[in-house]
Amino acid sequence: MSMQERDPKLENGPEPTADSDDPSAFLGEITGQVVTVKLNTGIVFTGNLNSVDGYMNIALEGCREYVDGNYRGSLGDTFIRGNNVEYVSRGKSEHLRG
Amino acid sequence: AEPLDLVRLCIDEVVYVRLRGNRELRGRLHAYDSHCNIVLGDVEETVYVAEDDESEERRVKTVKKQSEMLFVRG
Repeated sequence: MSMQERDPKLENGPEPTADSDDPSAFLGEITGQVVTVKLNTGIVFTGNLNSVDGYMNIALEGCREYVDGNYRGSLGDTFIRGNNVEYVSRGKSEHLRG
Repeated sequence: AEPLDLVRLCIDEVVYVRLRGNRELRGRLHAYDSHCNIVLGDVEETVYVAEDDESEERRVKTVKKQSEMLFVRG
């Protein structure tokens, strides 16, 4: 059997527009900034990103909780176990109220 | 520099933990590990139970339990 060489043009999707080459570099870049963290359950947290690790465990400072886009309460310094995280996004999500 | 360091800072402090299954804990953090196994002392557990109501009202009941010492699997 012959080994086919991978043609870059056939790879999925367009070229990434992120500042970094790979996802883990992005996580290193956003520490110290305000981020939006969405969980698998749909709950959203915002806060200052203290740190992230390879499991996507997250430490947030000044953490605020949002359900259905509405502010629910302030949680202060918060640790989130990585398996629950759907995404971490730079900045506070615009649709969040409060 | 890593998130679990934040948890380490909370050792011997009273912490709030949210669990799967609409449960919350509040107690003193005695131990934890990288799996998020946790040992809490003097802990109150709050369970939120959905109550099926025939009318349009949706009610949630809270059940509270106390323990001297609790091991939580991560």
